[in-house]
Amino acid sequence: MASTEIDRYLNVDSQHVALDPEGYLIDLAAWTPAVAEALAAEEGRVLSEEHWEVIEVIRDFYSRYQASPAMRPLVKAVGQALGQEKGRSVHLMKLFPDSPAKVAARLAGLPKPANCL
Amino acid sequence: MILHILNRPPSSSLAYRDALVAMGSEDRLLLIEDGVLGAMTAQVRHFQAIDGRLFALREDLNARGLLGQCDASVQVVDVDGFVTLTEEADKTVSWF
Amino acid sequence: MRSHLPVTGDLLVILRQVPHGSSWLREGLDAALVAAAFGQSVTLLFQSDGVLALARGQQSGPLGQKGTAATLDMLEMYDIESLHFDLEALERFGLTQQDLLLPAAGVDASSIPQLIAGHRLVLTF
Repeated sequence: MASTEIDRYLNVDSQHVALDPEGYLIDLAAWTPAVAEALAAEEGRVLSEEHWEVIEVIRDFYSRYQASPAMRPLVKAVGQALGQEKGRSVHLMKLFPDSPAKVAARLAGLPKPANCL
Repeated sequence: MILHILNRPPSSSLAYRDALVAMGSEDRLLLIEDGVLGAMTAQVRHFQAIDGRLFALREDLNARGLLGQCDASVQVVDVDGFVTLTEEADKTVSWF
Repeated sequence: MRSHLPVTGDLLVILRQVPHGSSWLREGLDAALVAAAFGQSVTLLFQSDGVLALARGQQSGPLGQKGTAATLDMLEMYDIESLHFDLEALERFGLTQQDLLLPAAGVDASSIPQLIAGHRLVLTF
């Protein structure tokens, strides 16, 4: 769930972007592609074209359903948008290790998925 | 057999109607909390469709001073009886 | 569309409350989503006032509160596609299948016990 407790700020260009204790954006409207890159850089990741297309899918999902997807619906949405080859959990695990639904939501500037332990 | 549990009285809530519709021919209904008002002689007509399969929790009747008003057709059980009913059931469904 | 019984599954969630009136509908849908996210097969039954959750044209509340219509649209992404509604309740509100925002199967009151019997766990909201 989106938290309102500001834990720290991420410096992106000249902006200070507020993050909650788990690293999710406090203000979803503060997201830009540069914010995603800065969040990824903190994790030692560089975003590739394959990351960006998933970020776009998850942002579309959120704007349509007003909720961040758990893993299964994320896999389904990616499959529908990018083809079955990419709509597989191994592909997402490779791009966003550990917990793709959470990591991708965070980089996409969305709330933490609620239905995902 | 499924044990249905209802905690609202038929005098002010239609939850009892949803519960009755959802009951199979072997299922039982246990009235708890404010649901025990439905066990009173003046109210029990709402449950005539399940005559013989209606139960009410003694502790909740007692707390409300209604044990004496409980209709003879209702089987009164205490908390241990509640546990037994649960054990005898395949599953429980709550209505509120 | 009529429901073809028996319908079976791991979890049946019975939704009986109106959107916006309380948090019960949202909580019921959340329970369904969590179960589905963990691979359980989930069936929904919209009973009594709960049929109004399926009405077309829902919007946010007067104070901007999110409704549940977007969540209903999302069900298919969680593979929750076994949706049923209480035919009599829909008629009670003067609505027909055309007024619903999702394809759902109508069930007669007499079929509800079978729906309950066909699921391992039943939660009402």
